Amino acid sequence: MTEPAFVLRDPAHRVSPKARTLWQLQCGLTAGIGVIGLLVGALVWREYDARWWVLGAAVLVGAAYAVVVPRWRYAVHRWEITDTAVYTQRGWWARERRIAPMSRVQTVDLAQGPIDRLFGLSTLTVTTASAAGPLRIEGLDRPLALELSERLTRNAEAAGGDAT
Amino acid sequence: MSDGQWLRLDPRMLLVHPIDEIRKYVVPLLAAAVFGATQGGNPLFALAAVGIPLGLGVVRYLTTSYRIADGRVELRRGLLNRQLLSTPIDRVRTIDLESTPIHRLVGLTTMTIGTGGGGLSDNLKLDGLEAGDAQQLRSLLLADSAVAAEETEDDAGATLPGLPPPAAAYEHRWLRFAPFTSTGIVIFGGVVGGGTQFLGEIDIDADAIAEDLAAQATVVVLAAVVALGLIVLALTVLGYLVTNWEFTLQRHPDTWHVSRGLLTTRETTLDVDRLAGVSVSEPPGLRLARGARLSAIVTGLDKGQSGSAVLVPPAPDAVVRRAAAGVLGTDRPVSGPLEKHGRAAVRRRWARALLPAAVPAIYLVAAVVAGAPAPLLVLPVLLLAGAAALAADRVRSLGHAVVDGYLVTRSGSLLRHRDALASGHVIGWTTTDTWFQRRAGLTTLAATTAGGQGKVEALDLPAERAVEVAHDLTPELVGQFLASPTR
Repeated sequence: MTEPAFVLRDPAHRVSPKARTLWQLQCGLTAGIGVIGLLVGALVWREYDARWWVLGAAVLVGAAYAVVVPRWRYAVHRWEITDTAVYTQRGWWARERRIAPMSRVQTVDLAQGPIDRLFGLSTLTVTTASAAGPLRIEGLDRPLALELSERLTRNAEAAGGDAT
Repeated sequence: MSDGQWLRLDPRMLLVHPIDEIRKYVVPLLAAAVFGATQGGNPLFALAAVGIPLGLGVVRYLTTSYRIADGRVELRRGLLNRQLLSTPIDRVRTIDLESTPIHRLVGLTTMTIGTGGGGLSDNLKLDGLEAGDAQQLRSLLLADSAVAAEETEDDAGATLPGLPPPAAAYEHRWLRFAPFTSTGIVIFGGVVGGGTQFLGEIDIDADAIAEDLAAQATVVVLAAVVALGLIVLALTVLGYLVTNWEFTLQRHPDTWHVSRGLLTTRETTLDVDRLAGVSVSEPPGLRLARGARLSAIVTGLDKGQSGSAVLVPPAPDAVVRRAAAGVLGTDRPVSGPLEKHGRAAVRRRWARALLPAAVPAIYLVAAVVAGAPAPLLVLPVLLLAGAAALAADRVRSLGHAVVDGYLVTRSGSLLRHRDALASGHVIGWTTTDTWFQRRAGLTTLAATTAGGQGKVEALDLPAERAVEVAHDLTPELVGQFLASPTR
């Protein structure tokens, strides 16, 4: 079989495997809060006969969400930084690939939330002059993220111009 | 323009400021006047009512100054809350000269220097420059030296010697598009809303008097409807006239000038290097009347500042196309044929229009089966017919092209627009595809740019074609990420 000519390959690198655990925790928490909310509702609103069925369905959906979505996201999330460009891929149901040339990079932002810190992970956000949103790499190991952020800043400076 | 000196604005602003201040404080002033009168009159109130605006005007004049120094424009203002705005000259994207009737009376104009990057707060506003000075300053800031020599205080619309004829100029027949603009529709809604309330009251009166007056009431209602229509027509035409009077789109050596306005004149200057592309939009009303409007995608100007990006107001389709061709230097991006997106994209348009309509339609049919009155069946038929019409039109609109170094995309039905973006202004690519889209082999390609909406989007392209388009426009950037490196 011949490869079609115009197909983008996936970006070269996966994010840290710890990101999968982090997302499992996050999705689990979200699903858990939803289920607890419904449980309280079911205990209070006694007139509604099908309430336990609704709750059961919610538990199933929540469990599926917490199990499937993190794995799916981990399978999709990838990144690559070359000398001339940044290339990211993220999402799960909707997949988003972004390519930005190094010469158009405006700011590089490294963020770490409280749960991220627990796992030693960071999110790298690269903005360009476009109002249509930044490139974002979630779930990078802290030391790697620091190194990338420095490299990006250096490259963007070297590329010069006002990035518009 | 002496270099480095702090300059005051024109002293004639001492006349304009108090009028402005009075306009701003008209409510408290009235309150003060009324309060003063009813309380038996404290002359201090009346004094304050006149004195405070005058005082504020003088303070504003004395505390505002600007200068051009070290390649930067700087504006200093404020008495208690001192503020210094400063921007490098090479970051200047657009310059707006706006003169309200008061300004025009005393020969002044307001200059707004658009630098992009942030919101409106980043703009430098020099309120009150002598009109000639303002044009000199503008030439200096946009390095448009050739204009400085030639430009006089000509009326907008006059063709200046040495310049090509305008790419588009106001004609009275454009006025027929006035009722089809969005402002027209808003005014229409307002008048209809107000009118129905009014009519409701008339009806009650007629009923109360006598039944044989019903015929007369009908006449009154009809007359009211006709009058309403005429009022709407007059208002929209008037609005169009006031905004777009003597509209001209004119090429100068390094810039495009857009000037328009009857009472408040507005003159926008766009740096040619910052002009990333154009967007032709055809809202439903305009499209029915075979009209369109043209706006510029300007690097550094986002949608919040869209007023500065108007290139042609609602005008005949042909005029808009000609103007766009003039601006881009080629007519193919705006008038040339577009490539279709293929059968999968067509199926997706139909599915996305029909499925949401099918749910209430099925519900209604089920209701009739369950015993609701049969004439209700008309609703699902109308619903589905409307959805089908929408889908067919969206299919017809959908298209893209890569011509003369421009990415051209068109989509939408009720808000159809055709965008052309120059490859040199593409600052990145985004492809988005949901699971459904991937299964159909489609992807939505967006070229990101530093102006306008931030991107130009080609909806539901076949996945391979999307990558090919991106590769055609920026081969070096995309080539390195191809699965099999460039042939």
